[in-house]
Amino acid sequence: MLLATYDLWSFVSENWRELLQGLENTLKVSAIAIAGSFVIGVVLGAARAHRVPVVSQITAVYVEIIRNTPILVQIFLIFYALPQFGILLDQFTVAWLSVMLWGGAFNSENFRAGFEAVPYRYREAGNALGFSPRATFFNVTLPIGGRIALPSSINTYISVLKNTSLMYVIGYEELTTTAINIANLTLETLEALTVLGLVYLALVWSLSAAIRALESRLALPEAR
Amino acid sequence: MKRIILATIGVAACAVVAAAVGFAQPTASTGRASADAAAPLPKLPAEIANRKRLIVGVKCDTPPFGYLDVRGKNAGVDVEIAKWLARYAFGREQRLTFVCAPTAVREPLLTNGRVDLVISTFTYTADRDTRIDFSRAYYKATGRLLVKNNSSISSLADIRGKKIATTSGSVYDRWMKRCFSGTDVVVVDSVTNAVLAFNQGRADAVMFDDTSLALIAASDPNAKLTNDLFLEGPYGIGIRQGNTQLKRWVDSRLAIMKQKDIFQKIIVNNIAPRFVPAFSKNILRPNNNFGYRPANLPSVDTVCP
Amino acid sequence: MSTPAVSTAPALASRRRLVTCLVLGALAVGAAYVLVAFVIHWPDWAEPIARYVLTVGLPATLQVSAAAVVGATVIGIVLGTLLTIGWLPSRALIRGYIEIFRGLPILVTVFIVYFGLPALTPSLKFGPLTATAIALILWGSAQVAEATRGAVQSIPREQHEAASALGFGWVGRHRRVILPQALRRLLPPLVGLLVNIIQNSTLAAAIGGIELLQAAKSQSERLTFFPPAGIGEIHAFEIFAGLMVLFFLISFPLTRLAAMLEKRLV
Repeated sequence: MLLATYDLWSFVSENWRELLQGLENTLKVSAIAIAGSFVIGVVLGAARAHRVPVVSQITAVYVEIIRNTPILVQIFLIFYALPQFGILLDQFTVAWLSVMLWGGAFNSENFRAGFEAVPYRYREAGNALGFSPRATFFNVTLPIGGRIALPSSINTYISVLKNTSLMYVIGYEELTTTAINIANLTLETLEALTVLGLVYLALVWSLSAAIRALESRLALPEAR
Repeated sequence: MKRIILATIGVAACAVVAAAVGFAQPTASTGRASADAAAPLPKLPAEIANRKRLIVGVKCDTPPFGYLDVRGKNAGVDVEIAKWLARYAFGREQRLTFVCAPTAVREPLLTNGRVDLVISTFTYTADRDTRIDFSRAYYKATGRLLVKNNSSISSLADIRGKKIATTSGSVYDRWMKRCFSGTDVVVVDSVTNAVLAFNQGRADAVMFDDTSLALIAASDPNAKLTNDLFLEGPYGIGIRQGNTQLKRWVDSRLAIMKQKDIFQKIIVNNIAPRFVPAFSKNILRPNNNFGYRPANLPSVDTVCP
Repeated sequence: MSTPAVSTAPALASRRRLVTCLVLGALAVGAAYVLVAFVIHWPDWAEPIARYVLTVGLPATLQVSAAAVVGATVIGIVLGTLLTIGWLPSRALIRGYIEIFRGLPILVTVFIVYFGLPALTPSLKFGPLTATAIALILWGSAQVAEATRGAVQSIPREQHEAASALGFGWVGRHRRVILPQALRRLLPPLVGLLVNIIQNSTLAAAIGGIELLQAAKSQSERLTFFPPAGIGEIHAFEIFAGLMVLFFLISFPLTRLAAMLEKRLV
């Protein structure tokens, strides 16, 4: 029905400013959330891999809660419920915070598996060379475990990018919200959805291709 | 003998015709409708009549016009108008399906055919009229500004540079972007979220219809309305463009409701008694007429103060 | 009676552990129910909300999830098996389907089904819950197809060769030998998929479908209205935290089940 009036080029040329702004917001939120989940993942993953007393248990609880509840409920909790305690966050903060907490939980599992997968003999060698446990971690476990965990953690980062689309529900003007708002306003639904889909696929596919390239270069010598 | 037989047949024929005519009338609870109107009442479009259900888009988060009550059922002034229309259409108010229609999706719902009518605090503007049709006006709403008691905003002139919350795609959204260029318009999807932003400090003021804001200002000791009255914009019922039969049907039933003062009944049902007089001045009543701005005058949301 | 060649003690011990776990779990659930229903004093506003959310929201969520899981599994297994055939065009098409629906955010898929399909033809107009279920089927089938491909390709070549030697054709081979083994390996990811779909059913809230999350959200909103519509208070935290607990109670046992299946079957 509307295929007859389908005109992608005029849609893009009329709305590219807002769409670009939306894409910029998506990338901003994703970048912060990815960086944050990397940090959380390494720190908490290391804590769990080394069975640090209190932190391990708290991390385990945190991970199980995040993994077993929908991310949308987590977002609503942060956005609608925190103000009850006087914590007022703007939409941008809620956006990166909620996705970062979600990604951090999954990432900590990735890094825990990575660190635990470092063959014991490497850590033994580190000890034999006189490294303290902390130095062993930074010089041996982290680099090797990090590289083992790289593919799964990049998958988590891609999911973080895709989950920023959920900020539609709190009205943050990222790419999905912008595209749907334009579609509602101009009724050019098909064009808006095409642009939306193509942009996300481009982002996700290029990141996936990057993993595959990195995987072969960063693999451990014996795995190559 | 022949005359008696003829007379009996004549009376029987009249009875049959009268019964047929009575049967064909809309099964309104008042058969007097046919007596009032000089001409037969417009009929429902066949598509809706065959479906035997009216699908109406209403607000789900804007008391007192459209919201969800404690049992999750739709309630409010707009919802009751829809129920009356369903009664006129099918004789039963249950033949109604409600769809939540926040401000931004009211038009797409109509153009996509997901709803038959939109009764959702829908302000008439000439611009919207180019994409959809409106019924006659049924509520006279005016724009107001809600501010905190100690706010630095004392009138419309002060809103430049401040954060004003309103709903996405509303007349206020467009008007502020067009006429008050320095204003930081905080766009949300519902008036509830706008007030939430206002209470949380993410916005300095809320600009919306007096219907919602008056009740909030009255209940909140920390907030008040400024004295500005602007963007007088009557609500209309949204109808898909070109569906003139439905528009005629809706207008005729609204006229009946106006005549029988049903709007007053609806207001009394939905609004606390101390606010009823204020709302009564804005509804269609037997001796209260109002309509849209004439088409030759520019639309209110394009005129800057 | 001679002692068996293989000790049955480990199997009995694990079965005993399983039974203990189940009994303890049932006791815990019973105790929690008694606490929630009778002992704890809930505030006035909580009961109608709980009733509404559980009687209207929960069935909708379960319906959407069930439909999505069944659809995704069936379509996914079919596509995944077809993916292992050597013919390039079908492989390319299915691979394209998988990459698209795994690459798009599920919310975008929901929007495509809910907003985009009606724009193509008016007959493809779906309600919000149905549209979410369809979108979840599209995404879920892509996941299952990929997992099925992996499972089928992990069956050693010897199985294919043995089956051929016994006279099975391609279909018979897959139906009798390959797929049964592959499906066993598929079970843990399928349970994981169920958990994912239950959680992603909340996306219906973004387009106004009345399921658990939307029911909770609209009631939480209603509470903030001034009387008589609501009570003018914000209790969003209690409501959403309760919702988190509900989802956790549904998902956690399933996640544990998936982990257990993974250990036993693979």
